Amino acid sequence: MPMTQLTWMRTFAAGLLLALPLLASAADSQWFLQQSTLTYHVSHPLHQSEGVSHEARGKGICHAGQCDFLIAVPVKSFDSGDSNRDLHMIQVTRGAQFPMVTVRTKLPESASASTTIQADLEIQFAGQTAQYKQVSFQLATQGNEIHLTGMIPATLSDFKIDPPTLLTLPVKNEMPVRVDLTWRPQ
Amino acid sequence: MKIIRLETIALAGLLLLVVPPLCSAQNADAATTNSSDAQKPAAAQDQKTTPDSQGAQTGSQNKPTGQPSDLPNAPSSSKTEPSLEDLGFSPAQTQADAARQALLDKRTHMLKVHQRLGLITAVPLIATVATSLNAGGKNTSTASRDLHTALGGLTGDLYFLTAYYAIRAPRVPGTETRGPIRFHKAMAWIHGPGMIATPILGIMAFDQKNKGEKVHGIAQAHGPVAIVTASAFGAALLSVSVKF
Repeated sequence: MPMTQLTWMRTFAAGLLLALPLLASAADSQWFLQQSTLTYHVSHPLHQSEGVSHEARGKGICHAGQCDFLIAVPVKSFDSGDSNRDLHMIQVTRGAQFPMVTVRTKLPESASASTTIQADLEIQFAGQTAQYKQVSFQLATQGNEIHLTGMIPATLSDFKIDPPTLLTLPVKNEMPVRVDLTWRPQ
Repeated sequence: MKIIRLETIALAGLLLLVVPPLCSAQNADAATTNSSDAQKPAAAQDQKTTPDSQGAQTGSQNKPTGQPSDLPNAPSSSKTEPSLEDLGFSPAQTQADAARQALLDKRTHMLKVHQRLGLITAVPLIATVATSLNAGGKNTSTASRDLHTALGGLTGDLYFLTAYYAIRAPRVPGTETRGPIRFHKAMAWIHGPGMIATPILGIMAFDQKNKGEKVHGIAQAHGPVAIVTASAFGAALLSVSVKF
């Protein structure tokens, strides 16, 4: 084999080795939130109220077997069926000053094959950040979509929200959020 | 000669393979930096709230923003984290609106006062209705009639003070009224005029009674108008208090 040909082959092999990781990174997968229903529940001695939003948007970017997810929803998009309560909710949660609720989590890419996952959530809401460890979610695969359901055990005090009152009676501190999301890979 | 040309083609091919991912990596950096700018107002507000949240915010929101700008060549895992802009939210949707928050704060404050005064008003209102049993009819006791009149006057004063806080509470633009508050507001069209008519009719009836006359004419409507007014007030109060 001539010397020049050997040199060329070595250069090509080295180039391929350099290019492979970059090619691998280009093949990272992404997930998009197709449908969402987020429901908060508030308890008062005289009322049980729920506010629903379908306006959440979410994206997951997977890299090296690890996926970073971001889900965000405008505070004002929650509808409890009572405009007065909704405006009051936006006020107490400082929703005009902090208009978005964001949820960040990291999950292994392999989690999509499971039926139950435990996720560590970082939620930014009302100008505060709260961490929720090992929140349980159920996963159901429907075609190429993944349907995720679960409950986030949020409380008002987690976000330093003064409990709203009705007839001078405050609502309970617990404010669980029911999550129903449908994800689709790109 | 052939080998050299082949080598050139192979290297050019490799370059074509390598360059696009490098470009996309740079774009990801740019996107992360932009998104951090969009979140800045909210993050700045966050840091004001509590020292606890300061630490948390530094750990979360500043993570994607700080590294790319401070150390442009440093490898960062934050490149892969999606941002609010990736989700398609416009800066207008994500930016803080201090004026709107102030409007909401003022509205809530005024409606809280309205709610409290409404509850306080209900006490003399009930007492006025209760004392009406001895104020009219054949009973000539002026003490019970005077008490009824005084309680009615107090109810009226508190009522209009209550109404003031509801009427003067700022409206939030772009809000459609839905739910029990619609009934609550509709009732105001009954108890509002009723609260004006009832004392006028009451004064007329009071004068007629004091003259030893039987209540006659339009003054006879004092009782029925008062009952309708009190009922509308009670319904308005319950509509926003108890879920039907």
